[in-house]
Amino acid sequence: MTDFSVRSDNVDVEQIMRQIRARIREKRGVDYTEEEIRELANVKLEKFLDPRGVRSDLLEQFRRKREASLPPNFKFEDSTLFETHRGLLAFIRRLLRPILKLFFNPNPLIEALHIQSKLNAQQAALEPLYYEVIHNLVLETTRLGIDVKNLKMRVESMSSRLDFDERRARALEGVVQYRPGAVPPLQPPTGGGESREARGPETAEQSERRNRRRRRRGRRRPDERGPGGGPAPMRNGTGQSDSRGLTRDGGGEADNQQQSEAGSAIAPDVTPNDPGPTQESGQSDDRRLTPVHSPEPSES
Amino acid sequence: MKLAVAVQRYGADINGGAELHARYIAERLARHADVEVVSTCARDYVTWKNERPSGIEHVNGIRVRRFPVVHQRDPYHFGRLSRRVFDQSHSLADEIAWLDSEGPASPAMIDYLEQAAPKLDFILLFSYRYYHAWHGARRVPSKALLVPTAERDSAIGLGIFGPTFRGVRAVMYNSHEERAMIQAATHNEQVPGVVVGVGSEIPASTNAERFRRKHNIRKPFAIYVGRIDENKGCKELFDFFLRYAATFPKGLDLVLIGSAIMSIPQHPRIHHLGFQPDEDKFDGIAASDLLIMPSYFESLSMVALEAWALGRPVLANGRCDVLKGQCIRSAAGLYYERYEEFAETLYALESNGPLHARLGRNGRDYFTQHYTWPVIERKYLDMFDRLKRDDATGSTRAPVESLGGWFARRRTDRRPASDVLAGIPSGAAPTGNSNNLSRSA
Repeated sequence: MTDFSVRSDNVDVEQIMRQIRARIREKRGVDYTEEEIRELANVKLEKFLDPRGVRSDLLEQFRRKREASLPPNFKFEDSTLFETHRGLLAFIRRLLRPILKLFFNPNPLIEALHIQSKLNAQQAALEPLYYEVIHNLVLETTRLGIDVKNLKMRVESMSSRLDFDERRARALEGVVQYRPGAVPPLQPPTGGGESREARGPETAEQSERRNRRRRRRGRRRPDERGPGGGPAPMRNGTGQSDSRGLTRDGGGEADNQQQSEAGSAIAPDVTPNDPGPTQESGQSDDRRLTPVHSPEPSES
Repeated sequence: MKLAVAVQRYGADINGGAELHARYIAERLARHADVEVVSTCARDYVTWKNERPSGIEHVNGIRVRRFPVVHQRDPYHFGRLSRRVFDQSHSLADEIAWLDSEGPASPAMIDYLEQAAPKLDFILLFSYRYYHAWHGARRVPSKALLVPTAERDSAIGLGIFGPTFRGVRAVMYNSHEERAMIQAATHNEQVPGVVVGVGSEIPASTNAERFRRKHNIRKPFAIYVGRIDENKGCKELFDFFLRYAATFPKGLDLVLIGSAIMSIPQHPRIHHLGFQPDEDKFDGIAASDLLIMPSYFESLSMVALEAWALGRPVLANGRCDVLKGQCIRSAAGLYYERYEEFAETLYALESNGPLHARLGRNGRDYFTQHYTWPVIERKYLDMFDRLKRDDATGSTRAPVESLGGWFARRRTDRRPASDVLAGIPSGAAPTGNSNNLSRSA
């Protein structure tokens, strides 16, 4: 959302509107300008769209059909029935018109044909609108196709990063050593029944808690925590905190970008100061994890 | 000084824009002159049916002389003639027939104006497009001041109105955009004119909390005041607001004041309060964060002026030239033309406190400088003085242009009025400085 700073007494509404429109333009076309999309829609449809679904020559065909099928319209006014280029004949017709009207009333006929003429004209006027609608639809479909393609790529990229994070988290857990005197670490189940028996009977609740801790360790990343380790603040599209607590569903494109950029620099998710998930679960646990080595410099 | 105010309908219970405008002006000018209102017996602006007795009565201390309308409007005939003059090549006779069909046709009213003219200093004719204003201006041009209340519709493209605008003594415009449109259509630049508008009865104090308590509205809200009608842009407003509400779950509510002639979406954040007395209306505006004006066609939005008077910014439909121009000149409102702009501007007004406050202050200043009653009255009185000075100096005026003979009137040589309108430049009236408050001179 647009943010304006009002520094002086003079407010230029036109300037504000220009800023708002620029902002909207920015949001709409991050990768492609209107001209580029138009060009793509005209030339390279098959590259983005399924050619079986939308024909790239749709507009051209529509135009050709329209030109071929448009019949000429006619004008029908009150005087059309009696018109002639011969002055004398026109005079005689005008003279005899009252007599003609004794036999039948031409007014409904004139009115009907007049309306028909209007309808024809309206239909002809609508045709360009249909063309415009189809044209815009093709453009929007192209734009959506591009967006879908981009989003697919982003989803793939994010899922590969997530996999990488999980693998890294598991690797980190494997290389930490524990202080002497600390309670022996909980080993991941190896599939044998001995270790389970050696630790004594384990309740379902303990097992579930341990699994939950593992899942959390695997998921958390430093960039997901706000200042002081709290949740990240809700931001608006400009990256500024919304003081009124307004949230926007579906917005936050910048947030996503920010997160994905931050996610590329992986920091160890277990640090000496990290109270760890045990505090969250309310248990006292003096097992402090100390990394043997820092696998990579943490995010600055 | 003796003045007559001629308007198509008149009464304390008539709240139509031009009619209310006329009543306010008549009541205000009555403090400076002997004012008589000349009107019809009609109450309904669609049929012009005679519903009030003819003769003299008093409304809020103003003498009102009513004349019967000779025929009601036939919607079929009027529609047919409208199509003809707006969309087809036609003749001057067609346009005159259209005017007669539109009504309110009251020849007795015109005769009275002609008879009374020698005893009057000036006659204020409201609403250029109606029978009484056109015939009145042609019959007594030397006394006629026109208050056109023109909107951007096809009627302004009709040829019969050119001589009227060029023949009257002066034109009292509602806005710069209206003046630009009329001058472009009729080339009446030589006729004295001033952008005046109309004031409003703003209460000395408002009670926002009382409004909130009475209607049980606790959350911040935007307000719309007026008839809830598709022609007023309400359908688009609802579409946009519903999308906005879905996007901003904690954003503003929308409060609607006015009678509804279209269905209103059922939504927890849309509150329709129906028609409300003036006290509630002003308290509601004072309680709101901003006023939304979604109308496409306005010659002057009184409710926007009222919002500005109370220090509330306005979010207007940018496709209405007048509203857009006023937002720019006053620097007291933003405008939108599509959903993205609606969402951004509404969000900006909702969330940016300094901007909101500055626009509100500008609105109050704008109203104080241009639309308080002393300012409005002074503009009218100055114009009367100027015209009297012109009379005293004996400056000659050209007579109202003739409409031609029988054959000339029936020559089909007039362009469709919609084509003429399309050729008239649109948009906010050009201004050098967006915050220039001295334009309305």
